[in-house]
Amino acid sequence: MTRIGFQSALITTLRLLLGAFFIMSGFEKLLDLKFFGLIIAEYQIVPSFLIPAVALLFSLCELLCGTMLLINLFSRFSSSVMLCMMVIFIAAMINNVMRGLEHDCGCLKFLSQWYGLKEEIGIVPIVRDILFFILLLPIALLGSNRIPWKKDQK
Amino acid sequence: MSGKPLPGKLFAALVVLLLSSISPSLSQLHAAESVALVKEVSAELDLAATKAIFDSHSACFVDARSEYVYYKSHIKGAISLSDSRFDEQFPDFKQKKAIETLIVVYCTESSCGKARRVARKLMKNGYRNVRVYTGGLIEWAHAGFPMEG
Repeated sequence: MTRIGFQSALITTLRLLLGAFFIMSGFEKLLDLKFFGLIIAEYQIVPSFLIPAVALLFSLCELLCGTMLLINLFSRFSSSVMLCMMVIFIAAMINNVMRGLEHDCGCLKFLSQWYGLKEEIGIVPIVRDILFFILLLPIALLGSNRIPWKKDQK
Repeated sequence: MSGKPLPGKLFAALVVLLLSSISPSLSQLHAAESVALVKEVSAELDLAATKAIFDSHSACFVDARSEYVYYKSHIKGAISLSDSRFDEQFPDFKQKKAIETLIVVYCTESSCGKARRVARKLMKNGYRNVRVYTGGLIEWAHAGFPMEG
């Protein structure tokens, strides 16, 4: 019972924290999609004609998955989507660091604006995204995938 | 003594002598060439000269920093031609700007090498009238000169 209670509390806490975080992150990107697109261009991975679509897709994914995590709607699914995105971000950053490119990572602009944290690609954002990956894992593995309004129908 | 015959030794000595007499003149030629290249590329401008050109509206200002930084702020009227995505942006730039246009390239500050690299690339692509504003955007902004973005 205690173990189940702890597990549930842990997942709820992670869900709320990560959900709020991804909402902020996705929202700020949606506010200035052109800027986010220009940062994606600096990665030199995505073809130019796809950049606006990728920028919109990533921002929407973050915002929607964050919202779903926050309200516990398809948490397992949304955390799995975010896990995939983390893998893409980590791989893209490692690729660029290995190629010797230097540019903004485009991860969390509000952190650099509010707390003065440097947002250049490098070991810090890579480790941070690995940490997010680890924090998302319990939700993807143990979280619920239920629809709240279906529960009410029982 | 080793088994090498005397004519062979003489020949080797001659070759060494010949090479040593040629190499200084060759290195001087290389040095002259590189100095000329550096002079050509490093037609550098200070703040006052840059402002004078800016006021005369006779030049095209080129921002060599990344496009996302250009998007946030740049010298008024400047065009983005980033060092990192030069190959993607250059065809469009070439269509807009004639080969004889006076071009002033800048980046963030004097220690930033992007402006010199873009200037070199422009010259390699036929633009001969290229200058580098070494002070960069920081100096320009501190002076309170026109910016946009």
